[in-house]
Amino acid sequence: MVDFLQALVDGVMLGATYSLLGLGFTLIFGVLRRLNLAFGPTILVGIYAGSHLSLAWPGALVPVVAVTVAGALLAGVYVERFSFRALARQAPVVSMISTFAVWMQLQELVSLLSPSRTMPYPSPVWLPAVAVGPILLRSDGLLMWSGATLIMLALFALLYRTRFGTTIRAVADSSEAATLMGVNVAMVGAAAFLVASAVGGLAGVLIAQSHQQVTPYFGLWATVKGMTAMLLGGAGSLPGAVVGGLALGVVETQTLWHFGGQWRDLVSYALLFLVVALSPRTRWGSGL
Amino acid sequence: MSDYFVSLLIRIGIEAFVALSAYLLLLMGRMSFGQQGFFVIGAYAAGLATALYGMPLLPGVALGALVAALGGALFAGPMAAPRGLAFAAGSLAFGELVRVALLDLYFQGQVGPDLIGPAGPDGFRGIRALFTSGVSVTTYAVGIWLALGVTLLATAFFLRSRWGEALRMIGEDEEAAATVGLPVRRVKVSALAGAGGLAGLGGGLFAHYATYVEPGHADVMLGVHSLAYAFIGGLGTPLGPIIGVALDIGFLESFRFLAGYRMIIFGGLVMGLLIVRPRGLLDEVAVHRLSRFLMRGRR
Repeated sequence: MVDFLQALVDGVMLGATYSLLGLGFTLIFGVLRRLNLAFGPTILVGIYAGSHLSLAWPGALVPVVAVTVAGALLAGVYVERFSFRALARQAPVVSMISTFAVWMQLQELVSLLSPSRTMPYPSPVWLPAVAVGPILLRSDGLLMWSGATLIMLALFALLYRTRFGTTIRAVADSSEAATLMGVNVAMVGAAAFLVASAVGGLAGVLIAQSHQQVTPYFGLWATVKGMTAMLLGGAGSLPGAVVGGLALGVVETQTLWHFGGQWRDLVSYALLFLVVALSPRTRWGSGL
Repeated sequence: MSDYFVSLLIRIGIEAFVALSAYLLLLMGRMSFGQQGFFVIGAYAAGLATALYGMPLLPGVALGALVAALGGALFAGPMAAPRGLAFAAGSLAFGELVRVALLDLYFQGQVGPDLIGPAGPDGFRGIRALFTSGVSVTTYAVGIWLALGVTLLATAFFLRSRWGEALRMIGEDEEAAATVGLPVRRVKVSALAGAGGLAGLGGGLFAHYATYVEPGHADVMLGVHSLAYAFIGGLGTPLGPIIGVALDIGFLESFRFLAGYRMIIFGGLVMGLLIVRPRGLLDEVAVHRLSRFLMRGRR
């Protein structure tokens, strides 16, 4: 029972960051109806930038966070400009293939500019772990969970409590109707892209401080986790992405705890496959 | 021909099969991130057939393709209905499931002095049928390209037939296709099985060339690459994906001196190409103009 609770708590703390990745994916997919495969690699750029700064300036936490987010934003602007705005009149799948080309570029870029494949990322290791009865809350996990929760609250306030958020949701609901209401759909799309990149950058900070290091494979990893979280939540629903991320985190830690590491990925992919197989008629956008 | 050139031809030929399989599904309106799964299924099955059960090379590779086609037909059970993003996600999950499952597959038998067979993360080593049968690498390359040529002709013929029309119509509008009485489900299951078989054929050919195959060969990058090939070479003809493969591998190999910058330049080229020609070099319009040019004076 304690094992189950411990794995559950670990899963929620891990899953909160998956939720953030899923939210970033959902924002872009919901508003632009296009899949951004380069979402993970844009975060990768941010984390590498932060890692470089932390090597040059040890102990600087706030600047590292700022540079990480700025790096992700910059890479996001690049993706938006060349894979989305330049291809706005083409079929959605063309954007997806283009983001794949950008992915190759970004991954090679960070490998090229870094002295080693594995780069360290600073972590506030001095924070103590908290024990609640028999359950141990590790400091990096607590940071992931509380950071992700704060970001999600801020994001939901932005999307559901401001005029800007309303236009984003209006475009996601129907871009034709939003156009008729005088919304500049192209502008809103670009803005949603930037918000998603910033959320991705912050998620990158939280994940990298937990891993304490980063390799070029992080891009692939983050894309797969974010896409899975989005799809588990029904693709296109913001609260769904949160639930999907948490579910993915809990399933991963529970399998890890009870069956061992090699089953962890197997079960999370089986879960995704089952969701698709059992609900083929969900309102998932036709990607092509 | 130099060994280097031959190895290049073999790599292009093998990847072309996977690219063709992704192209076939694209025509049906499905983007698959999972063809790498069928690639390794074919590779493992063909390897087991020749290395463990002593089958000759050709029947072994054919059996590998058949097993992968069967896998495609089974995959069609749950995956014939989903489309768009749902199909993309399901196929991604399938490809990764195959890769992760192979990490735990141990199935070894005694062959002579050696233990042969899949050994989890260490992969499946010692698939030597190509070299014990005395076929030279050059002959193998010629064989692969002959098979590829036959496959291309068959695909082109198929795409011009009623089945090909049905396939494209399902890609355009599935409900309309069903309304005019097309056997939509049968076409979809056949296409998924055929695409699985093509990828599996590539896998079997690869396993015998490399003499080994491992779960890492089911990397999702292979699936995404094979999708991208069709968009580089052009969606208008089955030659398109093969041109995409040749451009990619040819480019990577001829610009070795650029070392680390290759992917940055190649990625930039693809990105630019998609802006200028969103349906690839040989898109439908280009193919139409080209065929009119070639047919000039014959009418």
